[in-house]
Amino acid sequence: MSGRRIADSGRIDRDRPVDFTFDGRNYSGFAGDTLASALLANGVSLFGRSFKYHRPRGVLTAGIDEPNALVTVLRGAKREPNIPATQLEIYNGLVTESQNRFPSLGFDIGAVNQLGAPLFSAGFYYKTFMGPVIGPLKGTRFWMLCEWFIRRAAGLGRADYEPDTSPYGRMNAFCDVLIVGSGPSGLTAARAAADAGKRVILSELDPVTGGSANWSGETIGGKPSADWAAEETAALAAMPNVRLLTRTHVWGYYDGNTLAALERVGDHLSAPQPGAPRHRHWVIRAGTVVLTTGAFERPIVFPGNDRPGVMLAAAAQRYAAEFGVLPGRRIAIFTNNDSAYHAAAHLSAAGAEIAAIIDTRLTISNGARELAQKAGGELMLGHAVGGTSGSRAISGISVRQVDARGTVSGEATSISADCLAVSGGWSPAIHLASQAGHAPKWDEDLQAFLPPNATQNWIGAGAFVGAATTAEALRGGRNAGLKAAGAMASRAQQAKVDAPELDPHPAPIFEIRATDGKSGKAFVDHQLDVTAEDVRLAHREGFMSVEHLKRYTTLGMATDQGKTSNVPGLAIMAAARGIAIPDAGTTRFRPPFAPVSLGALAAERFGEVKPDRLTPMHDWHVEHGAIMMPAGLWHRPQIYGLSGETLEQAYVREAKAVRQSVGMVDVSTLGKIAVQGPDAAEFLDRVYTNKFSTLPVNKARYGLMLREDGLLLDDGTTWRLGETEFLMTTTTAAAGKVMQHLECLLDVRWPDLNVALTSVSDEWAGTAISGPNARKVLETAVKGTAVDNESLPFMGIVRGEIGGAPVMICRLSFSGELAYEVYCGAGHGTHVWEALLAAGEPFNTLPYGMEALGTLRIEKGHVTGAEIDGRVTARDLYLDWMLSKKKPFVGSAMMDREGLAAEDRIRLVGIVSLDGQPLGGGAHIVESSGREEPRKSIGHITAVCYSPALSKYIGLALVNGGKARHGQRAFTADPLRKRYGPVEIVSHHFFDPDGSRMHG
Amino acid sequence: MVERESPLGTTYKPGRHGNVVNAAGVQLSEPRPGSIVEVVAWPGMEKATLAAIKKAAGLTVPDHPGGGILKADTAGFGFAPRRWLVIDQVEGLGAALRTEIGSETGAVNDLSHGRTAIRIAGDSAEWVLSKFFGLDFVIGAFPLGEGRSTAHHDIFAQIQRTGKNQFDVYVFRSFARAFWTSLCHAAAEDGYEVL
Repeated sequence: MSGRRIADSGRIDRDRPVDFTFDGRNYSGFAGDTLASALLANGVSLFGRSFKYHRPRGVLTAGIDEPNALVTVLRGAKREPNIPATQLEIYNGLVTESQNRFPSLGFDIGAVNQLGAPLFSAGFYYKTFMGPVIGPLKGTRFWMLCEWFIRRAAGLGRADYEPDTSPYGRMNAFCDVLIVGSGPSGLTAARAAADAGKRVILSELDPVTGGSANWSGETIGGKPSADWAAEETAALAAMPNVRLLTRTHVWGYYDGNTLAALERVGDHLSAPQPGAPRHRHWVIRAGTVVLTTGAFERPIVFPGNDRPGVMLAAAAQRYAAEFGVLPGRRIAIFTNNDSAYHAAAHLSAAGAEIAAIIDTRLTISNGARELAQKAGGELMLGHAVGGTSGSRAISGISVRQVDARGTVSGEATSISADCLAVSGGWSPAIHLASQAGHAPKWDEDLQAFLPPNATQNWIGAGAFVGAATTAEALRGGRNAGLKAAGAMASRAQQAKVDAPELDPHPAPIFEIRATDGKSGKAFVDHQLDVTAEDVRLAHREGFMSVEHLKRYTTLGMATDQGKTSNVPGLAIMAAARGIAIPDAGTTRFRPPFAPVSLGALAAERFGEVKPDRLTPMHDWHVEHGAIMMPAGLWHRPQIYGLSGETLEQAYVREAKAVRQSVGMVDVSTLGKIAVQGPDAAEFLDRVYTNKFSTLPVNKARYGLMLREDGLLLDDGTTWRLGETEFLMTTTTAAAGKVMQHLECLLDVRWPDLNVALTSVSDEWAGTAISGPNARKVLETAVKGTAVDNESLPFMGIVRGEIGGAPVMICRLSFSGELAYEVYCGAGHGTHVWEALLAAGEPFNTLPYGMEALGTLRIEKGHVTGAEIDGRVTARDLYLDWMLSKKKPFVGSAMMDREGLAAEDRIRLVGIVSLDGQPLGGGAHIVESSGREEPRKSIGHITAVCYSPALSKYIGLALVNGGKARHGQRAFTADPLRKRYGPVEIVSHHFFDPDGSRMHG
Repeated sequence: MVERESPLGTTYKPGRHGNVVNAAGVQLSEPRPGSIVEVVAWPGMEKATLAAIKKAAGLTVPDHPGGGILKADTAGFGFAPRRWLVIDQVEGLGAALRTEIGSETGAVNDLSHGRTAIRIAGDSAEWVLSKFFGLDFVIGAFPLGEGRSTAHHDIFAQIQRTGKNQFDVYVFRSFARAFWTSLCHAAAEDGYEVL
């Protein structure tokens, strides 16, 4: 330790030492320390190198607004860059490293950039990397050449390429009152709302509640403020209607009073709790929000203001009071307001020597003067810091007289100091209010933007609304809590606050400049190395809008989003333009308030990107060697391959088995919709192109459905199970789409129809049994019904039992063979499947997968979603015979539009590979064999297979002219797979065109 | 009678899992009721339908959105306008409801195979379910017996509160294993016991 620790002060637990490393060196701190406080306690002042100039940088703040001290945390192979050392809680085994330096933080080659600093002003990239108008580096090529080097010479931390295996979580929460920020106003607001019986969530971004009460040194109700905060917190924690969320920052305010927050559940632990997420993404729906987010102290912009050891005055006070660390032994104070006097007195009482208090103002309040006397050190009114000295840490400052505009003059006084604590006033943290409100309001007295008028249901209190004293914050917090609870504001006596009476109004000085303007770099945005001169340069070059200023100079960008730089930057621009600050505008804050891990945002699907949808027979398929393939969310067997078989060999074997004897396929994935009600038949007549009201009970019919625009939506068979009851089947892929379509029609177009739709896709397990011996298998397996041609004709439906399980059987065919679909309760699916297989054993029944299913339907010329792709009409697929002329139906009014009836549309054909090579789905059909100039595409292939029935590679295609091209030769052009070759265009009915096999 | 196969398969592993430091935060189980039946009433036939449910299932289902009721072996709740889910521990409720609810009154769909009931019980039940659903699970907002329709992304869910700290979640059978797996992951933080 460096001797910077103060005995018995702060929230740290001195009985729990913690060991950690920074840049490979071992350090120790205490539980409760942040990395910043622990390193300061160890005498470390250099934390990182700046973005562009590689200037040495220390700690500027003690909180989430930190622009400088960003580090990378290493956990195993994982690197998490750009973590503010001020927010990072240390734990045993913590490994951290500094950023943007090579080979070391102390000796950084990149610091040579400082020599070229005049070149790297605002707009450097835009001006320098335009590229010549001619030559090999013309245009953006020059930038692309240089980008590699620039990205290594400038920047923040470096991430890794390893997968993030940490768990993340999500939580949906509801409350009557959400209080954001747990300082004195937040605690009293929470207490008031909770006492009124409201459900309260109190969020705090730090590990402990209390906010400024933890370090202000004031007394509340006769107790040290930190003790008061702890007692209030304990009381709230004991209330069942209160949830305390620490280590949680609320980062987004969305419509409907919905707020997003990130809880850092495990970042402070050496090892995560079992099952606990690293971060938890909270979605909080609040009745009323009370914003008590406090205020950020502003720096003053002056030459050399980025030297390590320069920090905000309240941060210096906080390190001493909350972490028991003196940021320096000999501390100078530089301010334009009274609040820094409080810090001076506190630091002095903690053991620091106050070198001087430099105040830009000529007169100060009595309270400030008393605090200055307590603090000691020379009080220099009407003066300002005009420069700093030191290399990797501050060693001294130069002080000169200053006028009301911030211009220094006269002789410089040198003062030695190892820390300069600066205060430029306070900016309320209005970020969330800005997301849920109008434009912020400028307050001339406070020299700050105050919260806007709300557009959602929130109330503010405390420093957030400009309250300057803790007493005011307590009163405002209580009234906000009462108001949020629906009660009247209270005049009840608040806890008495013992604090010095100070003037809350700062002097309107944001920047200190020398009369000649040549006094070194003065940084506005420390994180992105934006100087005051950069702001003025932007103004000279015409970027006067604050939005343009941000984009040209990068002011206010990156991880801190300009929490310390926005207002000074705006003030400098306003001064350059000769206008008032509010006239220069302000950036409206967007989410997130502070960085959010992408893992947390993806938490709901982390590790489970999409659910697996399984058929009742899924486990059987897997156990019997099926190779499964995705079909949307479903998993379906692709093939049941034998050892050594290729995919093609497997599906050809399976398809052959179907054509020669019998095969079975799991069709449970088909969409199934129960359509019930006295108007069910009328409804189906309206949604299908063909008529269903004439369909007898226990019969099925193939149907086509169009969209309103006349294009095909889906096809499938619908079974009439009773006078008022139908079972509609859809393609697997379109099940959800069809259900939505039908529900919309019923709800919006025809609410007068008494029809109920229910998805029963999961109620039924479906097995299609196909092949010349299919009926024989059923005859063996089915009890309670005959299945002969008379009892069960084509498109007939019977009910019976298989192995004791009730089944419903419909005779229909997708394969072109004699085929049946056997439906049973999903819970009986495997039982019935196995019973059918056993019954089919004498006929060598094989299960077959999607590839064989596809092969059989291609041979037959049946269409699926591959052809019904949202762009085709019924005519395109030669299904116009199904378009009823006797009734209107959805799409009938639009299907005859000229464009949909044109002769030159692409229409369904079959194609045969003429070179004996496989075809590729999606390949184009062209008229020329030339690979370089294949000429215009006349269509594309939708489905391909090797046909065991034809012993050829065949496919279905949509080709310009359709039938008119039968017999023509064309070519397939598949540049992606480098497949070119001749094909013949033929009828899509490759196999058994008269249907004798399936009707047999 | 052929026994119904559970869709959860080998993912259903009885015993303690996840965080075992403290008592299990939740108990997970698959109640496997014999009957899960959806009832729909035509507009204006709501009271007649509820009367029919009472006659067939002995349940007086409240006539307000989400209203529900619990009995020892039966339960029912509204999950959408004019729609209810009625549950019985034994099979056959669908047929009984069909007898009472003619096509002039409404429609009945037996979903006993198509929906899977998953029960989550214990002190952390609300907490764990809140990880999935944007619903307010506190008992004041979600009273005992009531039901809600919601979804966790691709998975539609109907939820009934069946105890102070107990909920039955009905999901499509094909999604049951995926939902169960996600539920186990979500419950690991508090520790869970599969009964």
